[in-house]
Amino acid sequence: MTGSSPDLSVEIAGIRMKNPVMSASGTLGYGTEYEPYLDLSALGAMVTKAVTLEPREGNRPPRVRETPAGMLNAIGLQNPGAEAFIEEKLPEMRRFGVPVIANISGRSIEEFATLAEMLSVEGVDGLEVNISCPNVEEEGMYFGVDCELTGELTAAVVAATELPVIVKLSPNVTDICAIARAATEAGADALSLVNTLVGMSIDVEARRPHLGNITGGLSGPAIRPVAVRMVWEVAREVDIPIIGMGGIMAAGHALEFILAGATAVAVGTANFVEPATMQQVIDGLASYCRRHGVSRITELVGALEID
Amino acid sequence: MARAVAILKRRENVAPGHYLLELSCPEIARSAEPGQFVHLRVGDGTDPLLRRPFSVMLTRPSAGEVQVLVRTVGRGTELIADHEVGTRYDLLGPLGHGWRLPEATENVMLVAGGVGVAPLIFLADHLRTAEPKPYVRAIFGGATEDALACWTEFASRCEEFTAVTEDGTAGETGMATDVLASEIERDRPDRVYACGPDAMLVVVAGICRQAEVAMQASMEQWMGCGVGACLGCAIPAAGGGYVRVCTEGPVFAAEEIDWERMTPR
Repeated sequence: MTGSSPDLSVEIAGIRMKNPVMSASGTLGYGTEYEPYLDLSALGAMVTKAVTLEPREGNRPPRVRETPAGMLNAIGLQNPGAEAFIEEKLPEMRRFGVPVIANISGRSIEEFATLAEMLSVEGVDGLEVNISCPNVEEEGMYFGVDCELTGELTAAVVAATELPVIVKLSPNVTDICAIARAATEAGADALSLVNTLVGMSIDVEARRPHLGNITGGLSGPAIRPVAVRMVWEVAREVDIPIIGMGGIMAAGHALEFILAGATAVAVGTANFVEPATMQQVIDGLASYCRRHGVSRITELVGALEID
Repeated sequence: MARAVAILKRRENVAPGHYLLELSCPEIARSAEPGQFVHLRVGDGTDPLLRRPFSVMLTRPSAGEVQVLVRTVGRGTELIADHEVGTRYDLLGPLGHGWRLPEATENVMLVAGGVGVAPLIFLADHLRTAEPKPYVRAIFGGATEDALACWTEFASRCEEFTAVTEDGTAGETGMATDVLASEIERDRPDRVYACGPDAMLVVVAGICRQAEVAMQASMEQWMGCGVGACLGCAIPAAGGGYVRVCTEGPVFAAEEIDWERMTPR
C-alpha cells in the first residue's frame, strides 16, 4: 500500500468522519476564532464548547494557570445558552462542512434531557454529554463519579434524542471501567475520555490559590499517560467506540490513543499552543500509515501488541 | 491577525529584570497598531507550554522591526531573557483591539505603571505624527527606579513627562495616581490612556470617573489561546459577566469594565 493515500476515515456511532481528528470541547471556540490559522474543513469533526440551557457567565478570574507541561483551567462553562447557540453559533460552525458534535452540560437529569431534545436539530450530528466538568459545583462531575447516576443520565439523554450520544467520562474516579460500563449499558453510542484531572496551584508569596475557583481541570501533555492508560483499560471493557484525548500534541500521541483502543482522538490544549496542531496530526497519521503499510487507519484501533 | 516568524536581532537588559527585544518581523511591523499584542511561543517544548502575550512597544515598518519589553516574572520570561540573538520565535499577531485615538486636537494624558509602559510608548510614538496632533503629557510610575524601564523612550515622545517612584529613587516621590490627580487639577486632560498593575488602574479609573475624564485602559490577565476561544483571560465586565482581554481588549474604555470587581483583594 505504500505510495497510495491511506484511508483515514472512521465512523463513530454513525457519524462519518474523513479522519479521526476532532477538537476537544472548549478548545476551538465555535471554530471561527481559529479560521485565520487552520483549515477547519480538514477536520474529522468539531466539538462545541459546552452548551447549557441558560446562558452562563462563567467563573471569576483568574481562570487559567500554566503548570509543568500542562494547564489548569476553571472557565465555569461560560456560554450563551442553548437558544443563542442554535441561532448564532451553530450556523457559523456548519460553514466548515464537517460534523458538529454539541457538548451539553446540565444541573439535573431533566435539564440534560431537555437540552438533548433542544439540540436535536438540523446541523447537529451528535451529542457529547459532559458528565465530567470539574469546575462547577453540583454539575457534570457530580454525575460522572457515580455509576448509578451515570446510567440514569445516559438513559435519559438517549431517550430524548435520535442523535448519537457520546458520554464524556471523568478521570477523577477510582474505577473508570465501572463508569464506562454503566454508560454503555444505559445506551451510550460512544465514550469520550478523558476530561481534565482536578488540580490546584498555589501562589506561595501571596498564600492564595492561583485560580479564582481555587481548583481547576488539568490538561495538556502532563496528563497524557493517565489518559492513554484509561483508554486502554476502558477499550477492553466495552464494545462501543472510544474518542481518546488528553495531551495530544502530535500524531505520535494520537497513535498512542488509537493503538490503546480509541477509534478517534480529540486535540485540546495543543490548539492554544499551536493552532495548526490538528492539521499536523492528520498529516502525521497519513504518513505513519504509509510508512507502516497500513491502508486503513481503523486497522490500528486497539492494535497494541502485548506479549 | 495572522502568524509570523520573528527573529531576535537584539536583546538589551534595559533595567534590572527588564529586557528589550528587537525582533525582525516585517508582517507584524507593518500591521501592528498601538495597543495590540503578539502571542509568542517561548520554545518548541512542553514546559513552558502556553504562549506568552506581549504588548508591542514600537514598530519600524520600513526596517521590518518590532520591539517588545519583557519583565522576567516566571519561567517563560526567564527563558526569553537568556535567548541569544538569532533565536526564532513563532508569533500569533497582531492580536486584540488597540487604543482608540483622539478624534480632535486634544490634551491627552498617558499613565504608565512599570512594564505597562510598553503599549503607551507605541501610542506616544503614534501620536507624534497624528493629525490633528494632540498635546501629550505622561506620568510614569514604579516602586523604584528599576521599574522605570525605557523611560527615555517614553519621555522623548511626550510634550510633558513626570517620573514618580514610591521610594523616591527617581523622579518625584509617591504614586503615579497622586501625580495624575494633581495634574487633572492643574490642567484637566480630555482623555487618559493607562496601562499598569490592576491596583493602579482601579485608582486611575476612580479619579477619571470623578473628574469626568474619558479613560482607556490596557488590561492584563493570564491568557490561554489569545484568539478568543478558551475564555481564559476573562475580566469583569460592566453590567455583569466577563469580557476577554485577548479579543474585546486588551484596550477597553473605562465604562466597559466593572472596576469594583477588578479591585485586588
